[in-house]
Amino acid sequence: MPTLIFPLSRIEGHAQVVIEVQGGEVISAHFQAIEFRGFEYFVQGAPAEQMPVIVPRICGVCSTAHHVAAVKTLEDVYGVTPPPLALKIRELLLLGQIIQNQATSLFIFTMPDRLGVASLFQATSSTSPSTGSGCASEQANAEIAMRALQVRKAGTDLITTAGGQFIHPIKAVVGGVTSGIGPEEATAMRTELSEALPIACELFDCYWEMSLAMGERIGTWGDDAPACYITAIADRRPNYYGDVIHVMCPDGVARASFSAHDFRVHLTYQETDYSYAGQTSYEGEVMRANSLARVNMARRMGTPRADEYLTRFHEAFGQPAHAIMLFDLARGIELVYALERAMEILAEPLDHEDTAVPHTPRDGEGYGLVEAPRGPLIHHYRIENGLIVQAEFIIPTVHNALAIERALRVAAERYITAERVDMELEHAVGRVVRAFDPCIACATH
Amino acid sequence: MRQFAVLQLSGCAGCEVSLLNAEAWVDRYKLVYMPLVISAYDVPEVDVLLVSGGVRTDEDLYNLRRAARRARQLVAVGTCAISGGVANLGDRDEVRELFLAEAERRHLPRLLPRIRPVDAVVTVDRYLPGCPPTPELFMAVLFTPTDFKVGKTVCRECGRKKRRDMRPTHLIGFEQGEVLPDVCLINQGYLCVGSSTRGGCRALCTRPGHPCVGCRGPSDTFIDKLSSEWFTSIQRVFAAMTDIPAEEIETALRSPQLALFLFQFSDYAGTGRPPRPKEKVL
Repeated sequence: MPTLIFPLSRIEGHAQVVIEVQGGEVISAHFQAIEFRGFEYFVQGAPAEQMPVIVPRICGVCSTAHHVAAVKTLEDVYGVTPPPLALKIRELLLLGQIIQNQATSLFIFTMPDRLGVASLFQATSSTSPSTGSGCASEQANAEIAMRALQVRKAGTDLITTAGGQFIHPIKAVVGGVTSGIGPEEATAMRTELSEALPIACELFDCYWEMSLAMGERIGTWGDDAPACYITAIADRRPNYYGDVIHVMCPDGVARASFSAHDFRVHLTYQETDYSYAGQTSYEGEVMRANSLARVNMARRMGTPRADEYLTRFHEAFGQPAHAIMLFDLARGIELVYALERAMEILAEPLDHEDTAVPHTPRDGEGYGLVEAPRGPLIHHYRIENGLIVQAEFIIPTVHNALAIERALRVAAERYITAERVDMELEHAVGRVVRAFDPCIACATH
Repeated sequence: MRQFAVLQLSGCAGCEVSLLNAEAWVDRYKLVYMPLVISAYDVPEVDVLLVSGGVRTDEDLYNLRRAARRARQLVAVGTCAISGGVANLGDRDEVRELFLAEAERRHLPRLLPRIRPVDAVVTVDRYLPGCPPTPELFMAVLFTPTDFKVGKTVCRECGRKKRRDMRPTHLIGFEQGEVLPDVCLINQGYLCVGSSTRGGCRALCTRPGHPCVGCRGPSDTFIDKLSSEWFTSIQRVFAAMTDIPAEEIETALRSPQLALFLFQFSDYAGTGRPPRPKEKVL
């Protein structure tokens, strides 16, 4: 039985795809996480108050989401409600993460697939026939890379402004945040974002066009079978701070809403022997998280340019839309939204009142929910004598694991016949996985 | 144009993200291998190889040995490459058994019995500590600019004022909300180890109000010494500035949040490696 192994690149972490074939028939298509981190073990015995600084180290890409989820979990245990100003600064922190992540995923991870190159940083070695977009010269690619990095940097700087450290933030603390943002700093940040916004829109327009061209060239937008969708944001003016988890049926009807405390009632987790990451399903069904889930459930973004893109998206692809390459376009809508929304918040006073309330630590159990770039992230801790005795991290990439494998099977069946394996499969495997923007460090925490 | 590559072992990719933030290298240095942003399956011959992450799996071991032979200069980047970093917490005896029980899976790279730093496997020419190192530090290691000046310690770069009239009697923990601006965090009762932590990060945690957890590792004064001297030095600082009992400090210094960076001392986990020479550490 031939086994095809595809190492993956332009995703966060170490993973590969393994497809087993017999007589032209696809027997299995597995997405394997091939590293193991072990944070659920590392943190046992750690003083609970140190979690917000330890857990961002799960992942340097999603660190902000883990930082905020840790603080929310401790606040749940201690029974603390942070003041409104702290919530605003935490929202900014998460918007910074969305900007940084979506710009990276769109322009650094998946743009090369549209251009038919191996990387924007190394544009000479072509990996597939040119898309004929006319943008594919090395010079043009280098310019895209520079502009993409500028947009990304605006997100990173926002994380620094709102979170202190730029990769592993430190400003969110139990009861609030350590400090506000002064008017000068806020204005400077706002200026930087306002400069990044038109660049982001221009790159996104170009990206949208190239996606359409590529869809025509390869004749598919990937696995377009309906699926359930899951997210922790409301259907208008997304706040990635996360309140309630919503599940949408494949036909677009809202099916369930539940709090992080009740996730076990709705979500089923299982491990496999072929990957260091597990898989979750919703009542036995394939589920999708990440940008497409959010955009499928969104009625309005609540900012002008993002709403234009959202309307264009719904009109072109329907609501809910199911084809997986639309995850990428949904990311662009969120990138624009996050830039606009952050500018709105930065126009308000951010150092005029208390940034934190006092609290008394106590033992117990708690949950913290955040809508991370890849979907709902839940932390769950049990604390005894001030120390962590149990920690669970419920990771968005794990929600997507079954959906990734379903889409891989679709691609494999398309490009494998009894006679031959079409070498386009290698590119297809990369495109499928990147559509979900998986994070392996998180998934194997 | 000179060429460099980035090999990511078991880690969080935070170092890679920081490198992307230092975008000024893009048109001055050719990046030829970095799976996070480039589809290329093998490390070619390069001038500089940056290695991030610790050696955790047998695949890490293989990839590191193979790549190191093709690099003229090898730089260990970030806490995990230098000491194993946060993954060392999984090597505490009581946790390790649980941890390795998880590890046996079919068809997957096997976990090594312990996390190992890069220099336990190959020769390292330079070290760039930090969790992660800042973009400015990445630029400094790639280009060695002559005007690059850093403070000797985080404390020197912080700018918060020490006060004689504020002498706390107990530590108040890491997570106590609002922090007084401009006043030294030790005066406010925080366990800040910036006084003996290597400078160069521009005190980016302490300035907005979070105590230094020591991610850049020991300053030049302590780097070739035993970890016990570092503990003594922190005790001296707290004795001079506070009335906090020494036992309280001692216990807090052993907690995981700080311990994960203390592994940068060659003797901390009893591994018996020689200390890193200070001239190799940026």
